[in-house]
Amino acid sequence: MFFLHNLERRVTLHPSYFGRNMHELVTTKLVKDVEGTCAGDYYIIAIMDTFDVSEGRILPGSGLAEFTVGYRAVVWRPFKGEVVDAIAYSVNPHGMFAQAGPLRLFVSSHLMPDEIQYDANATPPQFTNNADMVIEPGTHVRVKIIGMRTEVGEMWAIGSINGDFLGCLQA
Amino acid sequence: MSSNVDSESEDDFNPQPADLSDEEIETENVKPARGSSRAAPRTSSPAADDDHDEEDDDEDAARPTNGGAGKRPPRKASLVPDDAEDGDEDEEQEQDDEDEEEEEESDEDDVQGGHRRKRHRDRRAAFFDIEAEVDEDEDELEDEKDGEEDVDFIDNAHPDDIADSSRMNDDRRHRELDRKREMELSLDAEKQAEILRERYGKRAPARAFGDSVVVPKRLLLPSVEDPSIWAVRCKEGKEREVIFSIIRRVEERRGTKNEVPIISAFERGGVTSVMKGYIYVEARRQNDIMIALDGVLNVYPRSKMVLVEIKDMPDLLRVSKTPNLEPGAWVRLRKPAKHAGDLAQVIDVTENGLEAKVRFIPRLDYGVRDDLNSGMTADGKRKRPVGPGPRPPQRLFSEAEARKRQPRHIQGNPQTNYWSFMGDDFENGFQVKDIKIQQLEVKDVNPTLEEVTKFASGAEDGTENLDLKALAASLKDSNTNVAYVPGDVIEVYDGEQRGVIGKATNVQGDIVTLQVTEGVLKGQTIEVPNKGLRKRFKPGDHVKVIGGSRYRDEVGMVVKIVDDRVTLLTDQTNTEVTVFSKDLREAADIGGQGSLGQYSLLDLVQLDATTVGCIVKVDRESLVVLDQHGETKQVMPSQITNKFPQRKTAVAADRNGSEIRVDDVVREYGGQQRQGKIIWIHRSFIFLHTNDTNENAGVFVTRSSSVNTISAKGGRITTAGTGPDLATMNPALKRNPTGSNNPAPPPKSFGIDRAINHTVTIKRGGYKGLLGIVKDTTDTHARVELHTKGKIITVPKADLAFKDKVTGRPIDINTRGRGGFGGGAGRGGFGGGSDWAGGRTPMASGGPERTPAWGANKSVARTPAWSRNPDVSGSRTPAWGDGSRTVNPYDGSRTSYGGATSYGGATAYGGGSRTPAWSSGAKTPAPDGFGHGSKTPAYGSLGGDSWGAGAKTPAYGISAPTPGASGADAWGYTPGASGAFDAPTPGAGLGAPTPALNAPTPGAYSAPTPGAVSAPTPGAWQGGWGAETAPTPAASAPTPAASGGYYGAPTPAAFGAPETPAASGPRYTDDD
Repeated sequence: MFFLHNLERRVTLHPSYFGRNMHELVTTKLVKDVEGTCAGDYYIIAIMDTFDVSEGRILPGSGLAEFTVGYRAVVWRPFKGEVVDAIAYSVNPHGMFAQAGPLRLFVSSHLMPDEIQYDANATPPQFTNNADMVIEPGTHVRVKIIGMRTEVGEMWAIGSINGDFLGCLQA
Repeated sequence: MSSNVDSESEDDFNPQPADLSDEEIETENVKPARGSSRAAPRTSSPAADDDHDEEDDDEDAARPTNGGAGKRPPRKASLVPDDAEDGDEDEEQEQDDEDEEEEEESDEDDVQGGHRRKRHRDRRAAFFDIEAEVDEDEDELEDEKDGEEDVDFIDNAHPDDIADSSRMNDDRRHRELDRKREMELSLDAEKQAEILRERYGKRAPARAFGDSVVVPKRLLLPSVEDPSIWAVRCKEGKEREVIFSIIRRVEERRGTKNEVPIISAFERGGVTSVMKGYIYVEARRQNDIMIALDGVLNVYPRSKMVLVEIKDMPDLLRVSKTPNLEPGAWVRLRKPAKHAGDLAQVIDVTENGLEAKVRFIPRLDYGVRDDLNSGMTADGKRKRPVGPGPRPPQRLFSEAEARKRQPRHIQGNPQTNYWSFMGDDFENGFQVKDIKIQQLEVKDVNPTLEEVTKFASGAEDGTENLDLKALAASLKDSNTNVAYVPGDVIEVYDGEQRGVIGKATNVQGDIVTLQVTEGVLKGQTIEVPNKGLRKRFKPGDHVKVIGGSRYRDEVGMVVKIVDDRVTLLTDQTNTEVTVFSKDLREAADIGGQGSLGQYSLLDLVQLDATTVGCIVKVDRESLVVLDQHGETKQVMPSQITNKFPQRKTAVAADRNGSEIRVDDVVREYGGQQRQGKIIWIHRSFIFLHTNDTNENAGVFVTRSSSVNTISAKGGRITTAGTGPDLATMNPALKRNPTGSNNPAPPPKSFGIDRAINHTVTIKRGGYKGLLGIVKDTTDTHARVELHTKGKIITVPKADLAFKDKVTGRPIDINTRGRGGFGGGAGRGGFGGGSDWAGGRTPMASGGPERTPAWGANKSVARTPAWSRNPDVSGSRTPAWGDGSRTVNPYDGSRTSYGGATSYGGATAYGGGSRTPAWSSGAKTPAPDGFGHGSKTPAYGSLGGDSWGAGAKTPAYGISAPTPGASGADAWGYTPGASGAFDAPTPGAGLGAPTPALNAPTPGAYSAPTPGAVSAPTPGAWQGGWGAETAPTPAASAPTPAASGGYYGAPTPAAFGAPETPAASGPRYTDDD
């Protein structure tokens, strides 16, 4: 689910950049550092704007200036039970891996409807129910997240396509 | 123990249980027919007295009658109210003649009297008969038994019998009254008990607590008056035998003079018992035991005998539940030594529960070793049963092999696959054997999955017939105390509370307190024994494997649950494993089995001098490592010599020459086109990780030169767009932005090496300081003929200092070439500087050739001044010559310095040596800067056409001269370049010094060597600058023209300004 989230971060700036446009540089750096990262249990998708760039404080020892910057960002936090659209990128007998934006998902073959079977003979290997549902790398799938794991700088989820309206997305 | 005691007392008196008498009565009811015949005699027999004493007499009288019948006298209840008593008496009368007893009996009779009357009435009420008839059968049986006993009494009884029966009618009323009264009494049990106690209290207390009365347990506990129990040592494992032989002895001596004087004996042996090695004997005196055990084998009454304390006695008989074996259960063998510890499966348990038929995997050598021994047997007398030494491995029985080795000893049926070989039975490859249960380990079997699967795969058709249920049962038995911890979500799957789900709040021993979370009991707290509990998980839960499972410490997410089997997907390797839910615990943390000692998954370790590997699997005690050749091997931590620290700075080049670093995503070129993220760079190998496969934890290794970059972390490839890194020094202010102002690589010489025939001194080594003449050279070395020794030695070129033949001054042999090629003399001069830079950098093989002096010399041709005064002019002249360059003696000097080092005088110019060019040359790999990849190419290209025009020269020239003229600042501001720099760095340093100077220089630059600049090294420069000056139009523009401007601009900035603004400032001022 997407949220607008007010966040704060400390940004350091090398002294050689001190000058008129320092605040711009701070913002630039902030964007560069933060956008697209995973902050524990959510991803920071984009920074809307910054406000409240504090005075810089010189850090003893390094000479870098540290600014505390408040900013507003669009974040995405996947939840257990949330249904997301993803793209399968790897299929193996145990299940398939899919990517929903920055989030990697694994859908175990146990968590697929019974009629969907792994077909190793197809190229590329696929999960299929021998009808309309064919899951191979690149297929768009709709997945329900049933478990999440968060690590530093990474998130990882287990999904299920065992349910109504889950699974392959037709066109 | 007590039974014997009781039996004694019972001999005297047996407090008659109500039932018994009841039965008697019923008996009578049942057999009215028989009774009728005797009824007549009986009627007279009962004593007419109200007194119970008299009743006794009655019975005595009745006995003869009974005896005559040969059975207990059946009587009609209606006629003989006392019959019950009679029956009782019949049993007891042998022993009992005392009044008290009779009294008691009468009491009982009273109790039963009610029944009797009831029955009496029942007779009238038809529907009660049915009930009575049910009883009849039983009674008949009883009756018969009793009758048998009665045989003894027959003779005694019958004389009075008739008289009794005749009296009976008279007394009847009285008696009934009496009984009524008594009955009322009997209604109050306590009172009655009181009476009984009064009456019999004087007797042995044990008697009072006969089995008819419910007695509190504590009153049954042994006391001081009871016999003592001694623990007697015996041979371990022979406890039971000893007891049996004692029993035998007791039987033998019963009724003889020397009866065994002990009261009881028992043992509590067993392999795991703490009481093994002892038997326990109950006796009045210790000496009795000595007598009883005298001569019994395996028991040692003469060794110390331990008297069991009274308070410990009850514990001796505490019942410990013996594990009951069921077919399918797993056990371990203890006894056939060859199979000790092997897992076996129970097929059947014999009726008596002493033996079990088990099947296990045989350890057969098919007589291989027997053959060896047989030779021995022939010679020696004895045959060793089974020699010590390694026991054969577990392998299923093979008929073929058996036939090959010992064809005579095998028989069986291939159809049933049941074989007998060397006296053992084999079924489907398994050995089948009846083994005493004592020789099986039944508890704590803990079969591992590997062991169990051997059994499972034993099926003929290869199907898996693994009985997980039995396995689960075995496992559950083995550690019943599954560790539940508060917070676990638990489901009750067995027992009354079945189906309840809750969260454990407290665990105490076997009792788990649950806070019910679902269902109707929600919110309640209940306590349940942990027996019928299992942990409950949901798909998606993050769990850790604990306990005995092979997958211990794996952490993963639950994907499937069937009963108590949970399938989870491990975090580390993305593989699915199935374990019992009891072995799982909710994992708050991530990680898991990621490390063994200091080594953890995906670490890069050194295996030997030439082999490194990435850890792809961590087991309990070993590691699996993928080495740089793509092979996996299992190693122990001790085999690892070293662990590499993670170096984020490691850099390699992909096949396109692009820089790749750790965390970049690359794809193999050719081959399997695997794509992965770089986790390690080791020399020319890179270890990559991918999620596409589980093999080797997704790690594979390849050569860095065979991959293409897909994406670089932090978008290095597109860095230009994102701006500078604001956490490090402003690149524009950097002295040597990477590659930007690299001095040209040392010019490559063509034709004859210029060093040849030059006079040199040797700068280091054993010949240091000696003068000589270069006779011949290679790329790196020169053969020098020493003046002193007339000897030719080989010296690295870098160790040579070139001298003027005549003056002995240091010269730069390279400058000559430059001068020659150089577009402008001035440049040439400066160019010398650049060369110089080359000279310093080790790579610059051309260094020596370039010595400013040399250049100067050459340039002499062009600029008289130069030639004339090599020292001074060297530097200056070029500048002069150009005119544009204005004056920097210093610069000139610098350049010359750098290169040749020969300019002793130049040292004065110290500043010169410091010039940015130098540092840049020295510090940054020129090649990178040039983007050409290597120095030489760039070099070559330069050298080829234009050495003169030489990219370098311009740069150098510029750097040297302009600073002088324009001041360092100028660079910064110079049209093209300045733009670029301005943005990022105010160029404070530059700006400050001499803004005014800017103007002049640009012109100067552009003017002098446009062509040269453009031609030589646009590419190179751009490359260098590209990164830093991307923003500035000038920089970005690749075109020669732009570059021209660019050069003019940047170089100065790069060199002059950043490096030694201060130095250059003063210098210039001086000059000016």
